[in-house]
Amino acid sequence: MAAQLKTLYDELVRAFSSRPSDLKKCTEILPKLKLGLIEAGVLLPRGDVNLGDLVTAREILEIGAFVSIRSRDVPSFDRYFSQLQTFYTDYSESLPSSKREYPIRGLNLIRLLTQNRIADFHTTLESLDAEVIAENPFIRHPVNLERWLMEGSYSKVWNAREEAPAEEYKFFVDSLMGTIRNEIASCEEAAYESLPLKDAATLLFFENQTDLLKFAQHRDWQVDLTGGAIVFKKKGEEKMEIPKQRLIAASLAYARELEQIV
Amino acid sequence: MPDVEMKSTDAKSSEDKDKKEDKKDDKKEENKPEPIPPTTEVKNNAALIDRAVTTLEPRFTHRVLRTLTALRKRIDDSVLRNAIEGIYPKDSAVKKTLLLWLPPAPASGDVSMDVDSTPPAKTPTSELVPEAEMYLRLLILHHLLKSEDTHEKALELAQQTVAKMQALNRRSMDPIAAKIWFAVDRAYELAAEVSDARPLFLAAQRTASLRHDDEAQAALLNCLLRSYIKYNIYDQADKLVSKTTFPPSASNAQFARYHYYLGRIRAVQLNYTDAHDDLQQAIRRAPPAKTAPGFYQAVHKYLVVVELLMGDIPDRSLFRHVVLQKALTAYFEIVKAVRTGSLSQFQATLSKHAAQFAADNTYTMIIRLRQNVIKTGIRRLSLSYSRISLRDICVKLHLDTEEDAEYIVGKAIRDGVIEGRIVHEKGWMECGSQKSGYGPEVSAELGRRISFCLDLHNQSVKAMRYPLNAHRKELAAAEGAREREKELAKEIQDGELDDEDLGPDF
Repeated sequence: MAAQLKTLYDELVRAFSSRPSDLKKCTEILPKLKLGLIEAGVLLPRGDVNLGDLVTAREILEIGAFVSIRSRDVPSFDRYFSQLQTFYTDYSESLPSSKREYPIRGLNLIRLLTQNRIADFHTTLESLDAEVIAENPFIRHPVNLERWLMEGSYSKVWNAREEAPAEEYKFFVDSLMGTIRNEIASCEEAAYESLPLKDAATLLFFENQTDLLKFAQHRDWQVDLTGGAIVFKKKGEEKMEIPKQRLIAASLAYARELEQIV
Repeated sequence: MPDVEMKSTDAKSSEDKDKKEDKKDDKKEENKPEPIPPTTEVKNNAALIDRAVTTLEPRFTHRVLRTLTALRKRIDDSVLRNAIEGIYPKDSAVKKTLLLWLPPAPASGDVSMDVDSTPPAKTPTSELVPEAEMYLRLLILHHLLKSEDTHEKALELAQQTVAKMQALNRRSMDPIAAKIWFAVDRAYELAAEVSDARPLFLAAQRTASLRHDDEAQAALLNCLLRSYIKYNIYDQADKLVSKTTFPPSASNAQFARYHYYLGRIRAVQLNYTDAHDDLQQAIRRAPPAKTAPGFYQAVHKYLVVVELLMGDIPDRSLFRHVVLQKALTAYFEIVKAVRTGSLSQFQATLSKHAAQFAADNTYTMIIRLRQNVIKTGIRRLSLSYSRISLRDICVKLHLDTEEDAEYIVGKAIRDGVIEGRIVHEKGWMECGSQKSGYGPEVSAELGRRISFCLDLHNQSVKAMRYPLNAHRKELAAAEGAREREKELAKEIQDGELDDEDLGPDF
């Protein structure tokens, strides 16, 4: 690898490992490094390449992924992650395993979860060994979160937010909580006729009432301030319409099929 | 892990095997009297292929290939050697290369005797078409794959055969090529190098689809899907499926495999309805349970899990099926746990059979069932109680806290699992009356079921096999009918004439 790349790389590692990390500097260096990697032909490695170079390239991309999470740039994380895929899957045998691999995979899982891409979440999960899923703390965390979300054990999700196995996981907590609140709110709309304000705040994990009122306004809830309760609109008995178009289309389709059979 | 995968291949290849045996049986009945010795059969087959190519009649090739798997079990070194000796002229180059793959003749005693007795009758003078060579290579390949010591050799032969096949590039070779690809895939798999073969298969698939070589394309797509799924690369498998179309003229065996893989991909992606359809198609297209038990069991394992995930409970009779009973024991216990909605029983069963589920690659999907267990539990409670406190729900479903119970019930109400309300102040759940059962969703559901039945019918019609030339008879019958009609018309005409003749008299 060229000497210039080497100095840049050292600079990046220094900027990243200083406490707190120098994010601005990292984001400055990373594009240059990526250009260098492309020139060296190791960003998307093909055929036989020097293993040492690959390890360095992987580390650069990993740092890039972490930096983009810390600077809350999810699309950029997405790109780094897909570039890292090559290193994690195709070169898993020849390269020594990276200690950052599972944190990054876990972060990716959380990202899918916050974006409510459950199908992708499971597809990604399927590519991991069952052992890893059960044992590795970085993976187990998102897996548990997903299970609780699907069950509806939202308080467990809420309580687990502080137990994140890595610093970066907390960056997703806010958006995850937003997702949960919306989920809970939609459940409440269906399950309750009215709910005292105080209880609603606990159920939705709000610390004070102003936040709750803002949220209620956002969801178009009727708040009865004197009674201190939220009244949910009664849905249901709307007038039913007969879906004529669909029925006609269906009948025609049956006629055609029957004709084929007879 | 690899062991397991291999086992399932065996199941699958045995499926293919059995499939063909099936057909073979039909054929055998025609010329039952005495089983032909394998050497002669190989020779006959080579001659048939030669005839197929020279007369441009691909059906002879198909006939040969139908007997492939039955024959495969009967061949050994000496059979192949004798056949090759008999087929090719003495100093043919092809013969030498082919014989290189077989161990040299032991003590030449029995072989020379054989050679002495047969060749004088008909010593071939001309070279056969390259298709015959490919067929022999295929036989050797299968033979090498049979024993573990020769796997490396088989891989080498596979690579060479593929190179040769692509260099020859003959359309009349396509049906044989499809079989060769399957064997090549198997060779790579036994050598544990499936991922290395992927670029080769992808390139071959592209070529096959460009040349409208449907059979090879179907075989290759299945090989690719298999390799992706083996390495759990479901997103790439999904991309491959969405970017390609499976040739509709492919054989049922290939279709069954394709549907099985598709079902697995869809199940991982939480698309259970499609997965269910595909798995059912796979079962329907597969040969009968007794002839291909491995495939039947593998598909049913997935089908049971997918049905559970959809919220259905599989039929109990399924678990009494002779072929399935033993294989599905663990799944039966899971079904029982889900049906009773008991989380503790579910967890116990899960940990008891974890190893088997992991081996079947269904473990992660079964973990997803947890929420279904809870849902079933809540539904049972809502049916039996008109009002129940959250505390009791908590105890009955083994949930951790009342707070959890409240959220879970709320979610169940929102998802439409139960009808009811939570009264927060009193801390209980009131279960509402059941739905009236009439409304647009009923007609939608009915429509869905009807379309399913129609699809089922159409697919079954498509999956039917017709005996060759049966339409000739029908044609003859039609011809006869037309004759009769003509006669009738003539008679009527005559009759009319008669009438007219008679007319004036009246």
